[in-house]
Amino acid sequence: MADHAVQNFVLPKEYCKSRDKKEKMKKPKQLLQAYRQAPWRVQLQWLGFFLLGVVLVAAVAGVYLNLSARASSAGRAIQSLENKVDAYQREINDLSTRLAYISSSEQMYLRLKDTDLALLDPKQAIYIEVPGFISSPDIVLAPPAEVASVQTPVIKSQYTNSLWDWFVENIWFAYEKPSVDLTEVEE
Amino acid sequence: MKPANWSRYLIISGICLLVIVGIIVQMVRIQNLPGSEIILAQSESLSGTTQIIYPDRGKIYDRWGHLLAGDETTYEIGIDLNQVSDPETIATVCASVLGLDYSTVLGYARTKAGDNGQYYIVLDNFVDSEKVEQLSILQTQYAEMPVKRHVVNPSLSGLMWSPYTKRSYPEGSLASNVIGFYGFLDRIDGRGFFGVEETYNDLLAGTPQTVYVAYDPQRVKANMDLPEGASLVLTIDREIQSMAENTLEEAIDWSGAEAGTILVYNPEDGSLLAMATTPRLDPNEYWNYGEVFPNPTPFNRAISKSYEPGSVFKVITLAAALDAGAVTPETTFYDPGYIEVGGYYINNWDGSAWGTQDMTGCMQHSLNVCLSWIAQQLGADQFYEYVRAFGFDRNTGIDLSGEIHWPIRVPGDEQWYEVDLATNSFGQGIAVTPLQMVMAVGALANEGKMMLPHVVKSMVIDGHQYEINPVVVGTPIKAETASTITELLANSLENESSNALVEGYRVAGKTGTAEIPTQYGYSSSQTHTSFVGWGPVDDPKFLVYVWLEKPEISIWGSEVAAPVFQDVVEKLVVLLGLPPDSVRRELVAE
Repeated sequence: MADHAVQNFVLPKEYCKSRDKKEKMKKPKQLLQAYRQAPWRVQLQWLGFFLLGVVLVAAVAGVYLNLSARASSAGRAIQSLENKVDAYQREINDLSTRLAYISSSEQMYLRLKDTDLALLDPKQAIYIEVPGFISSPDIVLAPPAEVASVQTPVIKSQYTNSLWDWFVENIWFAYEKPSVDLTEVEE
Repeated sequence: MKPANWSRYLIISGICLLVIVGIIVQMVRIQNLPGSEIILAQSESLSGTTQIIYPDRGKIYDRWGHLLAGDETTYEIGIDLNQVSDPETIATVCASVLGLDYSTVLGYARTKAGDNGQYYIVLDNFVDSEKVEQLSILQTQYAEMPVKRHVVNPSLSGLMWSPYTKRSYPEGSLASNVIGFYGFLDRIDGRGFFGVEETYNDLLAGTPQTVYVAYDPQRVKANMDLPEGASLVLTIDREIQSMAENTLEEAIDWSGAEAGTILVYNPEDGSLLAMATTPRLDPNEYWNYGEVFPNPTPFNRAISKSYEPGSVFKVITLAAALDAGAVTPETTFYDPGYIEVGGYYINNWDGSAWGTQDMTGCMQHSLNVCLSWIAQQLGADQFYEYVRAFGFDRNTGIDLSGEIHWPIRVPGDEQWYEVDLATNSFGQGIAVTPLQMVMAVGALANEGKMMLPHVVKSMVIDGHQYEINPVVVGTPIKAETASTITELLANSLENESSNALVEGYRVAGKTGTAEIPTQYGYSSSQTHTSFVGWGPVDDPKFLVYVWLEKPEISIWGSEVAAPVFQDVVEKLVVLLGLPPDSVRRELVAE
């Protein structure tokens, strides 16, 4: 009877909907709980992620510091080298000027007198022919301005081109090559 | 579920956010403050500085590469007031080593840093390396002295020196009239004065560059390669220049002349091998300019002083007449001792009549009457046309600053009179510079081609050497005329047994004796003596011009200038390696 009563008992429609909804919500929660990690593991993961972040930041900062330190060091080296270049340039100038002074016309004349040498008497000059002798050439302090010249390649391009180069040059852009007027060449 | 302390997190985050927003707002506000640009400029000035870098001034060489003008290191001595610890020692050392006034240096060294905005005081400039070396040794010695209790060591801390270059002329006054000088005392606006230093100032100076020099080592960049100013190779031969200057000095001493000029010129290409004039200045001490060149003494008389050349001008008149066909070498003229032109009587230099003379005789005896007659045969229009063609109406265009020319008077000008044709024909009443004469006469020695005189042979710019090509500025006479007059003048010298003749070498030339115009008329007691000559006659390689002003020993060019020409040429042929004519012909024949 009781069973019958139970069987014949019909729950209100609203209640059934509500119960179904709760059931449905209950299932995912149960799943979530089944796979949730232990809290200490989660904390450890967070700590790991944090430490990874710290390490990454430290690594980037380290690289940055290293680079900036090297850049600074290079900068100082550049300054130092430029100072050295300037100093050497000044020394070269000094030495050139000193050499010019030591070998100046006046100094050479004084040295000539000290060594009991005398200027050549033009009337005593003897001229002889020296085969192959070339009188002092013009002073060359720097190479002359270069004239642009086109060097002829020793090896033809056919021997150095890759297949792709050959294809691009002779097939792909073949139509762009100027045609040769044979009559003009023959003339 | 929210954590229990969520609200605290929110509060802390809010505060942080507010701080960040506040900082950003303040940054934006500071960036846009009216004085933000000043702050920015201050920060920029602390991070680096902008400097103008001046390239080294180009060097000047003679034609064989001997340095005539270069650079040497010199120092500025100063005090960094922030670093001074022992003013007395600084003052003592500066007084003893640099010769500075002790009390003045002490006063500077005791100045508190920042007083009147001073942090650095310049004590001395242009201090040479030896003195700086002494200072350096003393500074090191003091710094390395052992520290003892209750004893204060002397210190040169704060005393600084910084190097820079200054112009230097190792040859002293040699060729200074050609080189000029550079005003190195003005370290910012220094420039070249006179000579090639002025003419080529911009090239020699190069192009200054403005660079940013960062104090932050991370922002330091290598300075761009700054090419030094262009270097010049002159046509001047140091040995020939020295010889010409020494010979000129000796000639002035011997003749008692007031001043002089000797030019050695290559008529084939217009290059000047030597340009010796007086007075000369040591460009290392250019501040003596006022003493050496009292007003109105020109820096280079060869280009900046015109004078009536006298009889050397007769070669121009005769060349013009021969070229125009007005006379031939065989044309004869009867010289009665005077000629009347435009109502004035022209006489010979000795006032006598020389009878019948051909053109060689006219030149040999330097007959004014004959040359006046020749000019008349040529006609005024043609005569002045030739004078213009020889370049006497303009500057030669030499690459030296300060060149002048005296305008010529020609028919049609208000101040031209008929007699001017006669006087001009023998070099009076017309003013020229020695270089104008050299350029014009050079045409006679170079098959009629007149070359542009120049003193720069080549330039080195940005690592490349550029040769200066000779330039023909005109062909006033035909090649045959040039050959004819050269032969004629060589004969006239030989017939005259001139003091200008050089043993072994056939030369052509002409003496000149010019009266000097004064406010009372021409003075016969004071003259300009000159000689222009070239050789060897069959293949001229040199042209030498000698001009001695107001000699005391004699008033005649033949007695004063001609022997100097001989002296110069005798030495010149050795320096040029030019064998005597006979040897040269033998060598050529072989």
